[in-house]
Amino acid sequence: MLLDPADLQAIWLTVRLAAIVTVILLLVGTPVAWWLARTGSWAKGPVGAMVSLPLVLPPSVLGFYLLLAMGPHGPLGWLTTSLGIGPLPFTFWGLVLASVFYSLPFMVQPLQNSFEAIGERPLQVAATLGASPLNAFFTVALPLAKPGFLTASIMTFAHTVGEFGVVLMIGGNIPGVSRVASVQIYDHVEALEYGQAHRLAAVLLIFSFLVLLGLYAWRPNPKKG
Amino acid sequence: MELQLTLRKQQGEFTLELDLQASGERIGIFGPSGSGKSTLVSCLAGLITPDSGQILLDGQPIFDSSRRINLPSHQRRIALVFQQHGLFPHLTVRKNLLYGYQRCPATERRIELAEVAEVLEITDLLEQMPETLSGGQSQRVALGRAILASPRLLLMDEPLSALDDDLRYRIIPYLNLVSERFRIPFVFISHSLVEMRLMADQVAVLEKGQLAGLVVPEELARQRMGQSSTGYINLLELGIPQEQQGLLAFPWAGRELLLSGGAGTESGTFELSSKDIILCKRHPDAISARNLLPCMVRSLFESGKKTGIELDCNGSTLVAEVVPAAAQELQITPGSTVWAAIKASAFRRL
Repeated sequence: MLLDPADLQAIWLTVRLAAIVTVILLLVGTPVAWWLARTGSWAKGPVGAMVSLPLVLPPSVLGFYLLLAMGPHGPLGWLTTSLGIGPLPFTFWGLVLASVFYSLPFMVQPLQNSFEAIGERPLQVAATLGASPLNAFFTVALPLAKPGFLTASIMTFAHTVGEFGVVLMIGGNIPGVSRVASVQIYDHVEALEYGQAHRLAAVLLIFSFLVLLGLYAWRPNPKKG
Repeated sequence: MELQLTLRKQQGEFTLELDLQASGERIGIFGPSGSGKSTLVSCLAGLITPDSGQILLDGQPIFDSSRRINLPSHQRRIALVFQQHGLFPHLTVRKNLLYGYQRCPATERRIELAEVAEVLEITDLLEQMPETLSGGQSQRVALGRAILASPRLLLMDEPLSALDDDLRYRIIPYLNLVSERFRIPFVFISHSLVEMRLMADQVAVLEKGQLAGLVVPEELARQRMGQSSTGYINLLELGIPQEQQGLLAFPWAGRELLLSGGAGTESGTFELSSKDIILCKRHPDAISARNLLPCMVRSLFESGKKTGIELDCNGSTLVAEVVPAAAQELQITPGSTVWAAIKASAFRRL
């Protein structure tokens, strides 16, 4: 085997993290994207900007604030401690929560675009045919936005796999808990284990390329979507 | 069906302010674009909320601002056929047709898929996806889908205007047929006078967001004749033609009308503008117009700067127009006789 057990553990942890974050973001990001796509509220601008912040913020800035919030003196930390979970930093679930924030725009933006592309009309038609708003969402909006869901999920997954700065800030570097593949490569390089760094880096490079290739080759014609 | 509404809705610079009572099974709403037709439709369907007012359908309030009643769209059972068919692209024709049917309470369902599909001639299309349909087929499916929801009222918002000219009038018989066969009252919205006359018994005329009148479509057509660039459009039902000297002789009113080639060899409805009828007091000996019909003047009416003349041709009606001076010169009065000259190329099949 080309990769040693520590590398495999890091890859498995990364995949688990990315999968959980993608599922959580599908649940959280869908209503946010739906609201952003359809609201006429003044809050649309500020909320849209908040959602997009992780695109431009240095991961260390985001990580720093999340660390404070999740710490024993932060509001989230207070909440988790009083629920008996304990503070989240340097745990796997702390990493999950941080990644949810970090990858939020990668889920919300493609979804918002595809919801906006559907337009009002199909939902109005559904309403006049007796479909409640929730029913119309599930029977009309969701199927029509399928390409958007595919894109958003792939982007979210891939982006979570690729994160580094936020992981270091929130998760540290604990094997099996928060040492994801990108951190493992960093460790290899620090330890001058260039051969192992090469192999793991190649795995991530090929994975990322294949994901993007799949996305571009498969993406349905947006005009039809 | 009885529709009573008083409503006000402001949209930017535009205000729709209406007070309208209409009853009947075939109500038309007529007006130029920007007159508020589509805003009214959206208020009726519950897609937008009026600022204030009341909408009663058969005496039941579906909206009443003073009593805080605003039935949501999906509970109104008012179906809507749009200008663009709006079929769901991810569902087959069958599933599109059943979308409203399945959401209609079982006790209210009166109409079945097979029957609608047969009337609309879409039975062969049921398993196809909407993207494979032509414009006319799509619009028929959209109509069927609306009907199958067993609505209390069917709104048709310019359902023909996205279709090509020759297709447009082929849909009209379907529209009339389904509403009659399945007894669904409708409100038909259009800016076309001809469509109004083919589709509505009573027409609410909208102008700049206000009700300008409630008239029968025939009356409306005569009122508009003088200002219209196309004049008054006579709608003639012609029988099956026979060829005659390179022209087609269509039976009409116990005689024959000669039409130039290209008119098609089936029976059908034809348009003839009042502007294309020339009146002569006496029989002209030599004239290029191929149709020369002896008529009796039934009545005269004023419309803008024109005088409309209702003619009785062997029991059938034709409306011609002249300037008032010509009417005086020819001494056209009710009861007098004239010759109506019409070129063979003046007719257009609907």
